[in-house]
Amino acid sequence: MNKTGIIFFPAFDWSLGEFHPEREERLLYTQEQIFEEGIMDLPQVRQYSPGVADLFDVLRTQAIFPDFQQHNLDAHLIAVGSSLVLGNALMKKEITNGFALVRPPGHHSGATVWGNRGFCTLNNEAILINVLRAKYGIKKIAVIDTDVHHGDGTQDIFYHDPNVLYISIHQDGRTIFPGTGFTEEKGGPNAWGSVLNIPLLPGVGDEGFLYALENWIMPAVEVFKPDLIINSAGQDNHFTDPLASMNVTARGYGKITEMIKPDLAVLEGGYAIEGALPYINMAIFLALAGEDYSGVVESQKPQNTEIGGDTIRSFLTDLKRTNEAVRPSWAFRKEPFLPAGDWVYSEKSIYYDTDGFKENRREYIRKCSHCGGTVLMISQKPSVFQKAVLVRIPFEACPDCEQAGYDLAETFQKSEKTVLLQNQLRNQVHLWTDGREVNPFGG
Amino acid sequence: MASLIGIDVGGTFTDAVMITNGVIERKGKIPTNQDDILNTLISALDYLQISKAKNIETITVSTTLVTNAIMQKHLPEVELILFPGTGMKLSSLPWPVDYSVLTGVLDYRGRVVVPADQSEWQTLAEKLNQQSVKPLTAIVSKFSHRNNVFEEQLAAYLHREVPGITTALGNQSGKSNFYRRTLTTYLNLAATELFQNFAYQLKMAVEARGCRAPIRVLKADGGVLPLAKIRPVESIYSGPAASVLGTLAQSNPEESYVVVDIGGTTTDIGLVLSGSPLISTHGAQIGPFLTNVRSLAVRSASIGGDSAVCLDQGEIMLADYRLGPAYCIGGISPTPTDALRYLNLTDYGDLQRAEEALGMLLPENQRTASDLRRTAEIIVEKMVEKIARAIQQLLEEWKTEPAYKVWEVLHHHDDFKFYIQLSGGGAPGLEAALENRMKMRTVLTKFSEVSNAIGAAMAKPTFSWTLHLDTKFSIYRIEETGEQGIWTGPKKPHREVENFLKELAQKQAAGLGIETDDLEKEIFDYFPLVENYHTVGQIVKGAMHVPPGVIGRIQS
Repeated sequence: MNKTGIIFFPAFDWSLGEFHPEREERLLYTQEQIFEEGIMDLPQVRQYSPGVADLFDVLRTQAIFPDFQQHNLDAHLIAVGSSLVLGNALMKKEITNGFALVRPPGHHSGATVWGNRGFCTLNNEAILINVLRAKYGIKKIAVIDTDVHHGDGTQDIFYHDPNVLYISIHQDGRTIFPGTGFTEEKGGPNAWGSVLNIPLLPGVGDEGFLYALENWIMPAVEVFKPDLIINSAGQDNHFTDPLASMNVTARGYGKITEMIKPDLAVLEGGYAIEGALPYINMAIFLALAGEDYSGVVESQKPQNTEIGGDTIRSFLTDLKRTNEAVRPSWAFRKEPFLPAGDWVYSEKSIYYDTDGFKENRREYIRKCSHCGGTVLMISQKPSVFQKAVLVRIPFEACPDCEQAGYDLAETFQKSEKTVLLQNQLRNQVHLWTDGREVNPFGG
Repeated sequence: MASLIGIDVGGTFTDAVMITNGVIERKGKIPTNQDDILNTLISALDYLQISKAKNIETITVSTTLVTNAIMQKHLPEVELILFPGTGMKLSSLPWPVDYSVLTGVLDYRGRVVVPADQSEWQTLAEKLNQQSVKPLTAIVSKFSHRNNVFEEQLAAYLHREVPGITTALGNQSGKSNFYRRTLTTYLNLAATELFQNFAYQLKMAVEARGCRAPIRVLKADGGVLPLAKIRPVESIYSGPAASVLGTLAQSNPEESYVVVDIGGTTTDIGLVLSGSPLISTHGAQIGPFLTNVRSLAVRSASIGGDSAVCLDQGEIMLADYRLGPAYCIGGISPTPTDALRYLNLTDYGDLQRAEEALGMLLPENQRTASDLRRTAEIIVEKMVEKIARAIQQLLEEWKTEPAYKVWEVLHHHDDFKFYIQLSGGGAPGLEAALENRMKMRTVLTKFSEVSNAIGAAMAKPTFSWTLHLDTKFSIYRIEETGEQGIWTGPKKPHREVENFLKELAQKQAAGLGIETDDLEKEIFDYFPLVENYHTVGQIVKGAMHVPPGVIGRIQS
């Protein structure tokens, strides 16, 4: 029998606005359902109290621009902190798996953060993953993102990291926010193949989802051999979801969970407050706890017609073929400020839908055959003429990449207002403002 | 000058006090007869000479009657009928009783998804008529705290079809958790007749002594209710609550401390935060039964002054049972009380016999003064260790209480400066060792030998009213009373809903004989109900409490 940890943190006093889909009542009915069912009384279940993440754990993974104080992060820090509580419980072997049923969600929040996008400001799973690596020395982690939306933030954070396999199965980005997650996106120059995107046609239902899991996702996980599996558990593939149209049922989610066998599941999206969330959360929870979830039945029945078995099977076969045929095409670039080595260059524009502005980003990745490679991100919020720089020395960085990171930090702290150095190798975070190093952690 | 009487029936002794204007006029302990709680109580009242007392304001008792009946399985048979609907399988949780299942599904807002099947009801009625002349039937449906329709309709049907039937419905305690609500409804129904007989006889006995004072019963949450108004199941585990309240009546009102009450067989541990006893977030558990009975957060460690001390492969062990009283007061087995007596940490019992008791744990050739001393010290250390662990467990439980709002999390771990309030038989002898082990200041409670009875005498009535209002469906429900009614106010209420609850609470409190001067309000939550981008109503949740506490303080 599994020993399952749960943190239920609905943040009933936090909201993005009166008519926002990510609203305070999102987990109200889930609470009604799980409390009434008495799942906290299952002998194998342990309920944990929410925690508050600290700034250090956040900044090791995400650069908060232009500075931390300009964001109200209370609710987000608790959602992250609660995920960390379960992570720690897992590492201490108090539990065999766990479910952080928390809001606000996080998987659209990327490596650089200027505000809220897709209802996310801090990335719960990404921060959790880097805590598990830094604190407990976990080497390889697989993230399976089952939210209907592509988890572009999580992909962004780990795009150059060969030790984190990011798999997202979602509704095709041409038909839904955030408009990314195509099968061609397969990871950066030192982490090619560590990202797997499976964009689905709308309406595939349980059958298509489970087929993709069985025939593509789980085999990929098996090849990668992760030490841990994290499930970004979005609930918006449900047939009642107002923002998507995937036709998955609560019992389908139970089955998905049973197949993935995540060590930790973290709640992401899901906006069918009445029709989906209470049922899906129950089914996932029961599957994690090793209980029968076949009694979880929605009060509504699916209305839309599903795309049939053959159609989805041939669609996925074609998609897989396309995915395998993609070859990397790197653009190299030389700049006076870049240290020795070959630097791959790319540009990115990120739209913050909640706040309605754009971030423009230039990225340089040191091509390296020994490690994940140092990353430089020069990020700009054009609407207010603000610029900030992130330098990341990765976990297990080689000496050359480590040195390159220090050189870059030194170069930019003179010229730029805000520079953040994430030294994941040495578990340090440095922040410079106007050329002076500041200690954002207090004390 | 009116007097307050408090009686606490403990496992070994029953404590009794009479308090007038904060001064203890009479106090005493009499042995408990667990097989005859009623007579134990009456003896305690006689000991206090209630028939001679001029003016008694109230008599409050904390009784183990229902606890014992449950633990010893001395309860009548109850037919348990469930409407479990959909969701988690019933078999996922351990059911200490048999049940039968009927068709009918409600959802989390109380909407009927699958109606009940009345053809099943007929079969059920026939079965009940055959089985018993006066069947006791508990009926509980999942989500009945949101809609009592299945329970009420089936009960009405059975009352027509089964003469002599008694029914109890889950919605009468409208708190969530189908499982706990079911077991609570079941236990309450099963204990009702036993409790009513006891209440009647106790009332008669008191009146026969010329006393007309109202009798009240202490509840697990540290509050009291009149004998006639209490639900029997609420009287379980009132002993630990009495310990906490007794300490409260003998300490500074604003302080935060751990209550440690060392009894004969168990040590009760509770927590007081700035003068308010901590309430458990879950309900009380009794034997295999999880209930939704509101209770104080207390730990009962199975260690006390009379715990048997034995040898296990040459090592001294403290058992979690007692074999009668301590050897130094005529018992048959060595106990921690003997160790404390030998070390002169207490003067309770015969020193010579205490030495003999310790000697029983040593080979004959090793019964030197230093060996006996060392043995006694080990016993005290082990006892303190057990108590310390239970204290740490409770503190840990408090720190990891769930929280559902940002505000709660950010204010969850406010620093409290805790100390230990120590009471009970072995208290004086353990003060120094416990202080040393816990690194917490330890204070002895003054009248610690009758602390529980003081707690009972001075406890205030408590009650809570938790409102759940769904303005889309125009239905309101009160968890504690199970009341469900029609809401006629606006779709988006604000202040009016608080006034509504306050008025309702005051009206019901008057019926229960409770004062509502210090009615505490919880922050109300207002959830907008949005359908297709339109606000169609609200779900409002809020509560008002008369919190547990004591009437005044004991003069020392």
